[in-house]
Amino acid sequence: MRFDGIVLPDRARLREAVDDIRKGRGGISLYLSLLGLLAGFLAIGCIFLLGHAHTTNTSDLVPWGIQITTYVYFVLISTGCTFVNFFGAIFYEEEYSPYASRVMFLAIVTALAAFISLATEMGRIDRMYYFLISPNPASPMFWMSVWYAADIFIIVLEYINIRRSRHSRKVMWAAFFVAVVTYGTLGSLFGAVGSRAYYYSALLPIYFLFMAFLTGGALCALVAAVEGRKTPGDGSPLPAFFTTFLKIGLGLALFATFWRLMIGLAGHVPGSEAFGLTLFDTLFFGIFLGVVVPFLLLLATRGPVGLIFTGLLILATQFKGRMDLVVGGFRVPVFRAYDIPAVVQYTPSIFEVLVLIASVSLVSFLYLVCDRSGLFEPIPGKEA
Amino acid sequence: METREDILEIMREDLKRALQKTRSERRWGMAIDLRRCIGCHACTTGCMSENLTPPGMRYRPVREEEIGQFPNVSLRFLPRPCMQCDSPTCTPVCPVKATYKRDDGIVMIDYRKCIGCRYCLVACPYGARSADVGHYYTGEMKKQTYEVENSGEYGKVFKRKTHWHSPIGNARKCHFCIHRVEKGELTRCTTTCLGHATYFGDLNDPKSLINKVIAKANAFRYREELGTEPRVIYIV
Repeated sequence: MRFDGIVLPDRARLREAVDDIRKGRGGISLYLSLLGLLAGFLAIGCIFLLGHAHTTNTSDLVPWGIQITTYVYFVLISTGCTFVNFFGAIFYEEEYSPYASRVMFLAIVTALAAFISLATEMGRIDRMYYFLISPNPASPMFWMSVWYAADIFIIVLEYINIRRSRHSRKVMWAAFFVAVVTYGTLGSLFGAVGSRAYYYSALLPIYFLFMAFLTGGALCALVAAVEGRKTPGDGSPLPAFFTTFLKIGLGLALFATFWRLMIGLAGHVPGSEAFGLTLFDTLFFGIFLGVVVPFLLLLATRGPVGLIFTGLLILATQFKGRMDLVVGGFRVPVFRAYDIPAVVQYTPSIFEVLVLIASVSLVSFLYLVCDRSGLFEPIPGKEA
Repeated sequence: METREDILEIMREDLKRALQKTRSERRWGMAIDLRRCIGCHACTTGCMSENLTPPGMRYRPVREEEIGQFPNVSLRFLPRPCMQCDSPTCTPVCPVKATYKRDDGIVMIDYRKCIGCRYCLVACPYGARSADVGHYYTGEMKKQTYEVENSGEYGKVFKRKTHWHSPIGNARKCHFCIHRVEKGELTRCTTTCLGHATYFGDLNDPKSLINKVIAKANAFRYREELGTEPRVIYIV
């Protein structure tokens, strides 16, 4: 099987792209990505070399911080890309096919970015092999790892099939169902924590899937709009299905966010005060800025610029939403000793923020370099 | 009236009797008489020196609660060790079985296996677990022996510094000083308790002092409604 130029960038064109970058012709977004990548990986190096004690602000009260948030955010985007691929191929076959390889490429690189962020949060990454030799089938985290392995395998296979013009509907369906199961399991990882009222909910796996569809759709729409803006004169308008997917995603996000909040506020169990503490953020960032404004923007604007702005707004507000979800569960401590505050605050350290920047930069850098190397162009003699 | 030494001696005798049984026949438990707790935190500091815990990590903090309103206000102290739940929420979530419940009821952590995912910290409804992220009392200065040497936890060698099985990066928690108990010594918090508010022993032994104390007084278990069946019993 030939990978060069089909699944991976063509060597000659990659060399040209690297030369362009070295000569200062890479474009501002590529240089920003490169800068972010360098700073981010420097911070990751510091986390591993200096240890969490000197680099992170997580604690016993907030065991999961911005790194886990970044991880959840990116894996949901990865799932969302798989969903866009599935629904695009099912309902908009002809219109969607030029975007298929980009969408699945994004699914892979966002998953990669997520794992890098996760790795920086783990206390002993050198012992990960215990997942293989001492598995605990009772743990949602164990099942998450199993399904992730399957998910990564199948999205890579789907991408290879798309690039080789041997698209298999069986693989596409399998990718969809594996994504549903995997990220439902991730939702259950949080939703099954009975000791934290903010997490404990049967709604959480559904919430995760809905948010995945929205954020994945937003990234795909953003990328498609940027591509549309680059080639305004080719006569092909931006496909309407990206806007349709976003509108559906916003509706699903509104449903999940609103009812999770309402049910949480109605609860009178220890720890449900966290819903009250995150009320403003959920209403303002989660619903107003995250759903209402993007929906109005979709109605009011036409063309790539509006879609770029809408996509960026959704991605930004949804990151805030993931942060509120992950860290919000620790706002109310389960045990209050004399020196433990009634409401726990968490501010990420510069190293932790740089892990987020590393993840974002990795996705954008790999995408931009591969795009520049012509990886997503139709293969001559084959339908892409 | 029994003195503090008498009570400790009775519990030591109970311990000897329990240790003659097989591990699965024992059921270690702890009772804390909140009427006797004076909030001196001797149990907290005793535990820290016994288990050589790093800064900020307390296996047994003492909560101070204000009850009532002026002028009818009282202060209550609530020491909180690991509850060693019979139905723990922390063990099933561990993806690699690094934490598990032993036959005698002690919830263990295998420092050689723990991957430091902190899911158990999230799942514990008592906040009884801590993450050892590598803090030292001496900061950047030369590390002192008590910070890097083996604490003897779980009866095994877990050196904190430059050791493959270092607990740095792991979850840690109270284990009822099982390394002492198996040698016939009471838990450190029991022996350091000034108000003799802490009782330790085999809940399966009807003659043990802990069972007599629980039978006599009003007892409750913290957040029992969660179904975790804690083995720490509070007396009020």
